[in-house]
Amino acid sequence: MTTTSIQSHARLPLYAAASLALGLLAGCAMTPPPSQQMAVSRAAVESARAAGGNQYAPVELQQAMNKLDAAEQAMAREDYAEAKKLAEQAEVDARLASATAHSAKAQRASAAVEEDIRVLRQEIDRVAR
Amino acid sequence: MRNSSHLTLSLIAAGILAACSTTPPQNPALTDARATYNTARSNPQVTQLAPLELKEAGDTLDKAETARNRGDDEATVNQLAYLTAQKVAIARETAERKQAEIDIERASARRDQVRLEARTAEANAAKQKAEMAQQIAEQRAQALAAANAQSQRDQTLIAARAAELEEARRQAALAQQASDQHAVALAEANAEAARAQAMLDQQQQQLNTIKAQQAAAAEQRARELAEANARAEQAQALLAQQEAELKELNARKTERGMVITLGDVLFNVDKATLSAGGVSNVKKLADFLKSHPDRRVVVEGHTDSSGSASYNQALSEKRAAAVETELVEMGIQSDRIATRGFGESAPVANNETSAGRQMNRRVDIVLPDESATN
Repeated sequence: MTTTSIQSHARLPLYAAASLALGLLAGCAMTPPPSQQMAVSRAAVESARAAGGNQYAPVELQQAMNKLDAAEQAMAREDYAEAKKLAEQAEVDARLASATAHSAKAQRASAAVEEDIRVLRQEIDRVAR
Repeated sequence: MRNSSHLTLSLIAAGILAACSTTPPQNPALTDARATYNTARSNPQVTQLAPLELKEAGDTLDKAETARNRGDDEATVNQLAYLTAQKVAIARETAERKQAEIDIERASARRDQVRLEARTAEANAAKQKAEMAQQIAEQRAQALAAANAQSQRDQTLIAARAAELEEARRQAALAQQASDQHAVALAEANAEAARAQAMLDQQQQQLNTIKAQQAAAAEQRARELAEANARAEQAQALLAQQEAELKELNARKTERGMVITLGDVLFNVDKATLSAGGVSNVKKLADFLKSHPDRRVVVEGHTDSSGSASYNQALSEKRAAAVETELVEMGIQSDRIATRGFGESAPVANNETSAGRQMNRRVDIVLPDESATN
């Protein structure tokens, strides 16, 4: 939606009408700005990044970040329904990326312990000879 | 599942609100989401380890179902279906993470156990090694002790040998000294010996000379001896001859020498003159004495016992003198003749018989032994 040079006072009813139209087109009621959701989603993405999502769940993390960007953009043009939807998706994508990263790390740790055991058993065999 | 009346109502509501889109009764996304949720719910690992996450996924699914049943637009249902699917995935990952954490827990315990085993095995091996090393060290210590003892003995031996060597050196030095002295003495002795040798040679020469002389003398003596032997033989021969002659003269051997007895018949009766027979006997004697000028005679007159002693004494002396005179006339020097009268003092037979008396009337002519060693 391109901005015109019309004064802000005159923009309001224009926007209201546009929102209503968009809301009708969307088939939903008018949504307030999903600030809480946005915050949650941003936090989730950060958390996923911190958990090593880049390394262990790059696809899921990238998807989450893309969707968060799109949500930010929707927020900027006040398309709050779209922003909420994208933010919700970004949140679960980020949480999945985190879970995947944590799981991958745990499995790596588990494999490391098994490797330790294998090495120790080898040592025992060597020593026993 | 919802009953058909709800479904109809939803459809009508959806139709009323259908300003922008139509909502089909089946939503593929929702169907898929439901399927994936059900699969997860039948997985015990997920239900046990991620119940909360699974529940959240289920709640979202309910919302999605409700939205569809209510006739909400497809976008909403799709959104909720998507969220459901992602939440199911989250539940799975969560379950896997927790399982991995449980495995880590168990594996860590096992690892500690195995590590303990490994360390124990290491410790045992090290202990064995240490024991073996200890054994070897003890053996080496024993060998070293033996070697030390041997070394001590060797040292003692070496010291003894060194002492012996020192002693030997000392002796050698002494011997060297003695040898030097001996060398000097030897030189002197050699000089002495040379001188002695010179003297000896000289003496040898002298000796040779003497020997030669002696040999000459010996030869001389041998010759002389031979001559003497010859003379002796001669003398022997002479003697033998003499004896033979004397035997002819009827001389008999006595301890005083040869004795010729002129018997009574050789004198004239009661006279002191020789008969012819007597003279011839005395002649034989004289020949003998001429042949052997070294012989002497002792004439001894004897008578028998008839008549007086003094008469007989005189008679015997006269008879002896007669023989002497005869001999002198025959050429025998008087200093070779000695006379004695014995009268009747030395009879040789029994004067009782006439034969005996005749025998006593005699003159013994003794030729004393003139041995070569006289």
